[in-house]
Amino acid sequence: MSAQATLGETMIAAIARTIEDGTICFHGFGSPLVQLALHVAKRTHAPDLVLVAGATYGINPEPPFLTPTSNDWAMDRRAEISLDIEELFDLAAAGRMDRMFLSGLQIDKYGSCNVTRLGANELKLKLPGGGGGCNLSCDVGNMTLWTAAHRSAPNDQGKRRYRLVEQCDFVTNLGHRTRDGRRPAELGHRGGGPDYLVTDLGVFDFDSDGHMRLVSLYPDTSVEDVMENTQFEPRLAEEVTTIPLPEPEVVALIRRLDPLKIHQRELQPADRSRGFG
Amino acid sequence: MTKTSKYGNGAKGPGAPIHTGADKRVELDELISHVEDGNTVAVGGGLSSREPMAVLRALIRKGVKDLNVVGSAHGIDIDMLCAGGCVSESSESYVGFEQDFGMAPNYRRACESGEVKVNDSCCYTVVQQLRATILGLPFMPVRSIRGTSVFDMHPEYKTMTCPYTGEELALVPAVQPDVAVIHAQYGDAHGNLRIEGPPVADILFAKASKKVIASVEEIVSNERLHELGGANIPYFYVTALSEVPMGAHPTACYPFYAYDREHTKDYYQLAKQGADAFKAGYLDPFVHGCGTHEAYLEKIGGEETARHLGSWKDGDEAWMALYGDEGVPA
Repeated sequence: MSAQATLGETMIAAIARTIEDGTICFHGFGSPLVQLALHVAKRTHAPDLVLVAGATYGINPEPPFLTPTSNDWAMDRRAEISLDIEELFDLAAAGRMDRMFLSGLQIDKYGSCNVTRLGANELKLKLPGGGGGCNLSCDVGNMTLWTAAHRSAPNDQGKRRYRLVEQCDFVTNLGHRTRDGRRPAELGHRGGGPDYLVTDLGVFDFDSDGHMRLVSLYPDTSVEDVMENTQFEPRLAEEVTTIPLPEPEVVALIRRLDPLKIHQRELQPADRSRGFG
Repeated sequence: MTKTSKYGNGAKGPGAPIHTGADKRVELDELISHVEDGNTVAVGGGLSSREPMAVLRALIRKGVKDLNVVGSAHGIDIDMLCAGGCVSESSESYVGFEQDFGMAPNYRRACESGEVKVNDSCCYTVVQQLRATILGLPFMPVRSIRGTSVFDMHPEYKTMTCPYTGEELALVPAVQPDVAVIHAQYGDAHGNLRIEGPPVADILFAKASKKVIASVEEIVSNERLHELGGANIPYFYVTALSEVPMGAHPTACYPFYAYDREHTKDYYQLAKQGADAFKAGYLDPFVHGCGTHEAYLEKIGGEETARHLGSWKDGDEAWMALYGDEGVPA
């Protein structure tokens, strides 16, 4: 590939930039882009990151390669020590888990996610469920949300199934507002909610209302692309910038960490050939 | 033999029974006799690892019905039980094939048709509900989940004002599974179990459930269990166990064998085609058509498959080769 970085690699680097050094961060399962972002952060700007692997709960593992499923001994290779399930979630409940990474088939303008069901009243599509996301979304310091399926092409009838929606049919993971408009702090939740969303079209943050706000775009996406593929009208940062491309060393690191290119499975087929630089 | 405490006769007493028999080794058919129609069942393992698949296949063959399955993050285990018509309610936190294949087709069909009541939970909620049972308490508080649709879905969840701080908390009731079904690497005749690698929720399941039935790769002496590093589930929680080599297949049971991705891919593709295709292409040949676990092992390729899946030990290249067949799916 002649491009400096693929879309997947650029997304991984963007997610990695949301991770601060010296914090405890947990990647869940079924999230290759996020798993790689944590390993990139740990090996670049955040050497003192406490990296907790999803599904194995190993701390600071060094996987020989990224596996297609998360609960695999390869993902646990050379973990310094392992937590059990209760210790992991206790840390979050006690306000000691700094960051978690969540997604959904629907993500609403306040950053709530639905991974449970489509159909607010009648069940139309049963999704796999949220794992521990419901608990963690209330408890964890901050969340980085991500999706590789922001682009939602219209079907034969011209109808889009938006990934970024006005309101989730079902709130599995709580963002900055409940379905009836309450803020998590009013409920006594400790978590600070989502502070970033990284998609295949751009990067967002959340303003003081807790509303999603576009802050940067890829070299090949526009504000119009974002508007067209989003059910609500996203707010715009004063200056919408371009997402920085990962350094060549970071790209090389990602390719070393994921020789099977597992992370590309998260991308929509047309996005697998996108590259920049 | 199951002896109950001096306080009562097991299920009716204040605590769950303890299981004190000297030799709990049984055949697979006897092992599964502990699961009855309508039971709440905690299936051990998680995602593509250490699922008690041989026991689940035997339960499907037997025609067990109306199970309520509770747990954290699961995949092929619950999906297959749903296809087998064994489940009437799911209180799992996740049932799917991650980014590898995506949604669980049989589970989806069963939920969407109404055959399985959707009662999704979330991991820490389940942990707290099991802990309540382990601690002998009627409920546990959690700060999270209030304000989500998961809370609204469960009329049994309550809220209370903390008498010390005035904060509002959610309360989740104790959950005591009738049976925990666990696959471990090793066990001894007495029922001590040694799980290697992530135990997921299995240790909590074992402590909270009325009965624990276990399949293990190898039954060894207690002395050998110590040499291996010791047990992590005490025998008196365990009702019965069977030696079932490759008993987690097609999920992984390291260090014996890795995840059989090829088999799982075939499973998934048949499941995706529909209930009839799945029954004809998978359930009939691999579950109903294999009257014993030995017949199943032969069906999946016997020694050769065992060697292939054990080849992860030959180095990273060999390990990767188990997963790197077809690149990115369309």
